[in-house]
Amino acid sequence: MTLLRVDELTVRFRTEDGPVLAVDAASFDVAAEEVLALVGESGCGKSVTALALTRLLPRNATVAGTVTFDGTTLSALPESALREVRGRDVAYVFQEPMTSLNPVLTVGRQIGEVLRQHQKLHGAAARRRAIELLDLVGIPLPARRIGEYPHQLSGGMRQRVMIAMAVACRPRLLVADEPTTALDVTIQAGILDVLRDLRTEIGMAVLLITHDLGVVADIADRVVVMYAGRTIETAGAPALFARPSHPYTRGLLDAVPNPARHADGGLREIPGRVPVLADSPDACTFADRCGRADETCRRHRPDLSPGPAGHPVRCWHPLPVPEPAVPA
Amino acid sequence: MTVLDLSTVEAPAAGTLPATRRRVLRRLLRNPLAVLGAVVVLIAVGAALLANVVAPYPYAQTDFSAALQPPSPEHWFGTDYLGRDMFSWVLYGLRVSVLVAVMSVGLSMALGVPLGLLAGYYGFLDPPVSRLTDTLLAFPFLILAVGLAAILGPSLATATIAIGIGQIPQVVRVTRGETLRLRGMDYVTAAIAGGASDTVVLRRHILPNAMNTLIVQATVAAPAAIIGEAVLSFLGLGVRPPTPSLGIMLASAQPFFRDGPWMAVFPGVAIVALTLALNLFGDGLRDAFDPQESRR
Repeated sequence: MTLLRVDELTVRFRTEDGPVLAVDAASFDVAAEEVLALVGESGCGKSVTALALTRLLPRNATVAGTVTFDGTTLSALPESALREVRGRDVAYVFQEPMTSLNPVLTVGRQIGEVLRQHQKLHGAAARRRAIELLDLVGIPLPARRIGEYPHQLSGGMRQRVMIAMAVACRPRLLVADEPTTALDVTIQAGILDVLRDLRTEIGMAVLLITHDLGVVADIADRVVVMYAGRTIETAGAPALFARPSHPYTRGLLDAVPNPARHADGGLREIPGRVPVLADSPDACTFADRCGRADETCRRHRPDLSPGPAGHPVRCWHPLPVPEPAVPA
Repeated sequence: MTVLDLSTVEAPAAGTLPATRRRVLRRLLRNPLAVLGAVVVLIAVGAALLANVVAPYPYAQTDFSAALQPPSPEHWFGTDYLGRDMFSWVLYGLRVSVLVAVMSVGLSMALGVPLGLLAGYYGFLDPPVSRLTDTLLAFPFLILAVGLAAILGPSLATATIAIGIGQIPQVVRVTRGETLRLRGMDYVTAAIAGGASDTVVLRRHILPNAMNTLIVQATVAAPAAIIGEAVLSFLGLGVRPPTPSLGIMLASAQPFFRDGPWMAVFPGVAIVALTLALNLFGDGLRDAFDPQESRR
């Protein structure tokens, strides 16, 4: 069952240096209780897509396209109705646990704010629920922690608090924007475990935004790869890792540190950077960085269509399916 | 904020009082000028509030046999041309100064802070509010207060209102700036993403975090209000004569400057001491709130 449908989502920013096209007709679905990873380099439009879902973008952004959540068209809802959706049905966890908590409110108060907003829980009832939530995300001594201020907690703990706040109202969809990027590797695994547990416990879908393919391999069911605002490849996580069709996806996989491959030359980076576009070009946006690009790629826009590996890819010259003998 | 702060942040942080607040207090106590300022303010405010207990004479009691006496053990600050005890007068005058300062700063905060919050948070309200405050800020505060007091007529209440209104533009500007800064904070975005309404965002997230700046702003505004009251009363636009005021004392001391300079010196010193102390305390508080600032 489709929980979230994003259709032709386009986001433009008016900036002092002219217009910037951040998301270019992105379309994807998130099924109920599915973990969908949105993957790409910094600046490819992942976070903007996430914020655009419930219209959290700053005023200089214009958003086109439709976002449908559980049958409701979010893009058509008035602000007041959307406010009910935020936090209750669609909740967010952001990248920076160090700055995403209000420094002058205790952890308990901040969780209580969300409970009050959406579940009309006050006083002792809110306190009890806050303790439950902290316990749920694996914070030891929750009854003591709720009286503490954010600066008394470590980064990992804060991120757990953020997750506790996000799942306080048992949302159907959790949008996690780089939830582990700012944390130590050892802490990352713990946070991913919490997300995995909560997903089964609450039965929520997770839209995971990350550039870390290790995280994707760990937790995601399906993957959408984004590049320069366009979705360029969509596949189940195992299929994507085994049979990437887009040269960019291949490049991302090659750029992952892998001890087994280090013998033959180590990491390979993708030359160049993500272009900043003012408008959607009639070309493949990756052509300038792609070894396989030819005139077609520079003149015509590729569509997202089934590739040689069976899943959709936006490429004129997708990579052939590797021989089964070749190790992935 | 990273390297410098670690030693203090990691210090024992248990207890009910937020550790940041205790850190501010500790930094404040380490600053001798701020401590001096705080002590003088406390003494002055305490003496002013307890004037009826502390003052050796009723402030209105005249004694023509003892007119224009220089300072002595009986009359510490001397007596004025009507033989009134200057020390008692100064205490009661301070009471008016403190009253006007508290009320007018309260008034300017009560009106200026909401206006600043709204202007900073809602983009469409910003241009009109900002243009208006910029226009008012173009006038020196005292000119504005004198003008308002002249329109409203002289009394304690109108002096308070005139000074309070005169200070609103500054409060609006500071609050607006803080709101703009805090609106971009991650926790504000996170709160909005959690479904918080504008009221919740402003009341729970932006206002509490702007509090430090606003407290410092109040300690800057209070001495300005004290001087403002003295000036208005000196000019006859503030408190009227039966009520003791340091400004009136200065005005009435003018003809006697040669025969009884203490009549002008003690009220003058009282004003200077109180405003200087408030400023020192305010500066110390600002430095204590802002670790980067205090380490320069």
